Amino acid sequence: MTILGLKNGEAFIVRRVTISREIGKRLADMGFVRGAKGRIVRSAMLGDPIQVKICEYDVSIRRSEADGIEVEMVEEKK
Amino acid sequence: MNRVITIALAGNPNTGKTTIFNSMTGSHQKVGNYAGVTVEKREGRRKYKGYDFHIHDLPGVYSLTAYSMDEVVARDFIINEKPDVVIDVLDSTNIERNLYLCLQFQELNVPIVAALNLNDEAVSRGIQIDEKRLSEILRMPVIKTIGKNGAGVEALLDKAVEVFERKEKPDYEVSYGHELEGDIQVVIASLEKDGAFCARYPVRWCAVKLIEKDARAEELLESHAFADGVKAALKERVRRIEEHFGRDASTVVSEQRYGYIHGATAEAVTRRPVDKQTVTEKIDRVLMDRVLGFPLFLLILWLVFQTTFTLGAYPMGWIEMFFGGLSSVATAFIPEGILRSLVVDGVIAGVGGVSSFIPLIVLLFMFISILEDSGYMSRAAFIMDKFLHIFGLHGQSFLPMIVGVGCSVPAVMAARTLKNARDRIITVMVTPFMSCGAKLPVYVLLAGAFFPRYAGTVVLSMYVVGTLLALFSSLLFRKTVLRGESTPFVMELPPYRLPTVKGILWHVREKTFGYLKKAGLVLLPASMLIWAVTSFPKPALDVPKDVQMAQSYAGKIGKEMAPVLAPIGFDWKIGIAAITGFAAKEMVVSTMGVLYRVEAGPDRKSDSLREALRRDPAFSPLVAYVLMLFMLIVVPCFASLSVIYAEIGWRWLLFAVTYWTALAWLLCFIVFQTGRLLGF
Ligand SMILES: Nc1nc2c(ncn2[C@@H]2O[C@H](COP(=O)(O)OP(=O)(O)OP(=O)(O)O)[C@@H](O)[C@H]2O)c(=O)[nH]1
Ligand SMILES: [Mg+2]
Repeated sequence: MTILGLKNGEAFIVRRVTISREIGKRLADMGFVRGAKGRIVRSAMLGDPIQVKICEYDVSIRRSEADGIEVEMVEEKK
Repeated sequence: MNRVITIALAGNPNTGKTTIFNSMTGSHQKVGNYAGVTVEKREGRRKYKGYDFHIHDLPGVYSLTAYSMDEVVARDFIINEKPDVVIDVLDSTNIERNLYLCLQFQELNVPIVAALNLNDEAVSRGIQIDEKRLSEILRMPVIKTIGKNGAGVEALLDKAVEVFERKEKPDYEVSYGHELEGDIQVVIASLEKDGAFCARYPVRWCAVKLIEKDARAEELLESHAFADGVKAALKERVRRIEEHFGRDASTVVSEQRYGYIHGATAEAVTRRPVDKQTVTEKIDRVLMDRVLGFPLFLLILWLVFQTTFTLGAYPMGWIEMFFGGLSSVATAFIPEGILRSLVVDGVIAGVGGVSSFIPLIVLLFMFISILEDSGYMSRAAFIMDKFLHIFGLHGQSFLPMIVGVGCSVPAVMAARTLKNARDRIITVMVTPFMSCGAKLPVYVLLAGAFFPRYAGTVVLSMYVVGTLLALFSSLLFRKTVLRGESTPFVMELPPYRLPTVKGILWHVREKTFGYLKKAGLVLLPASMLIWAVTSFPKPALDVPKDVQMAQSYAGKIGKEMAPVLAPIGFDWKIGIAAITGFAAKEMVVSTMGVLYRVEAGPDRKSDSLREALRRDPAFSPLVAYVLMLFMLIVVPCFASLSVIYAEIGWRWLLFAVTYWTALAWLLCFIVFQTGRLLGF
């Protein structure tokens, strides 16, 4: 499952980044690495881009990139 | 002779490097609450405890595998210039991602002092960092700082001296885990066969970067005496890593680096959970709402303009009154003749006419800088991204475009944060359509004179038309000369921060002085020149005043241009005024002030330029609107052209100039001719 499979507010753990080298590497540099915890915050008007909380900061990514981030959903204790 | 210490202020974007730089050097470089404010290296000096500090503020980077143009600047500085000490400014609220870059500095073997900046925010979020422990684990000095109030900044300099004076080299030890260490050692061994290469570049860093498939490291390898041998060993190792981990070797390196960081921070960082919503989250609930976000964005822009005009009207009135009075005084005290004409019709009419608009420009800048400091800019980019994407623009293009409402020069430079050259060129070419602050006086003057009841709407329409032109031009470029997919859009959304009064005031002050300087250095001599070419050759005394001027040099030049100007409804005076806009956009106003010099008398009202324009039969509301359109679209001022040249080169500049000019003329032609047919 990728980030696109999650709804707003759902939490995840990154499994791996499957998109091409350059942007994939960029995402890895910015903290999208195996085991990193994150959460979907919201999406913009037409569902794109998506605001994701990763590590401890917020980042905006487009659906096309989000689709290249494989994650595992986790239940978050509220 | 003091000893010189070269310092680089480096770190992730938006961590407060420039804030600390300003505090260290007493300068006032641009600070803003979004990633990518600083796009070029800046140097500042500081004398401290008998040392001369040469401090370099660098653009922010996420990793030493540089991505966009501004990031390359930062990386190359550290690698090539080898500063004595790197002060790595870390965002304490996001320590892990920030240490990721720090580890890469350690691999370069440069002496580091780490600044745990934004400490106030970390505290309020319940993040506690034991800096002593962190310093022991990472083997580098760590200082807590608050850039905003300068806390800890002197301590940074003290540590920098200490590190500088230390004789032995730093002995950092970044571990990639035993699973990767073997591979790194093999690559190191193959690299070490060339002694000269190893003397030049830090060998462990090279080895890791090669496994990371970093393009720049691969380039460096070309100078290696046994490059083929290294490549063979490298290929072998990368294959092994990818087989073992089942993932790309470059991601494995990132993962291991983050793994090491987690280990280090587990001991030194504790988080007290604060379960209440942060202020940023609360604000974003409203401003970033799926439905409300976009209308709110428009509302904010509308408020900015509305407030600018309402507040600006008062000082504008005072300045107009001042120059009106000055002109009466000059008329009363200087005897009739050339000198009086020069002072009253040249200097006061020109500079006075344009000075009254300074408050508007300054207020506009103030609001833009409040937006920039608050953290809303990247939210606006987030909201607009999809929309911009449809027109082939990049979400990141949005920041330069908003900055362009203030001035095109910084806006064009801000385009450097775009990674892809195509995106960058498109952004640079459409940014001038965003009507910089200097075009505002032209709009306000003409709208006020010819559309007194709808002045606000007419001015606003210029911004709307400009934005539409920017969007459609970009789409056109994307479909023709600059084809290709636009690149991914990954952008950090910083927390909201309260703009500091001090920062805003500095910005306003700087802008005001900038405009006064421009008025003195450009507009004053230019007004005198315009006065001269419209006053000479000296006319016979018995011809009426408007005929006199038509016989002057300016009138003659103007007539030569008539074939081009007539189809868009401009007479020679309007043509001359429009052309002087190339020097600076406000100059259109000062030139008109001189061209429409009105008999100064005691009964002279302050809005005389407006009246004079209205009295001129060559003008009509239609012509005025066409002139506004022309000023909106045609080539930006010289200062912008020179930065555009520096950013995209002369070929694209030539293309852009042709495009702007042709588009301006064509649109004006269509609007004027249609308007005339419709009877306006
Ligand atoms: N609360 C708080 N805010 C800070 C501190 N230091 C900087 N800021 C704010 O953080 C934001 C970013 O500051 P800059 O100095 O522009 O950051 P930078 O690292 O130069 O950013 P780039 O040039 O984009 O890489 C601004 O809004 C500053 O006012 C701090 O210690 N505490
Ligand atoms: Mg900066």
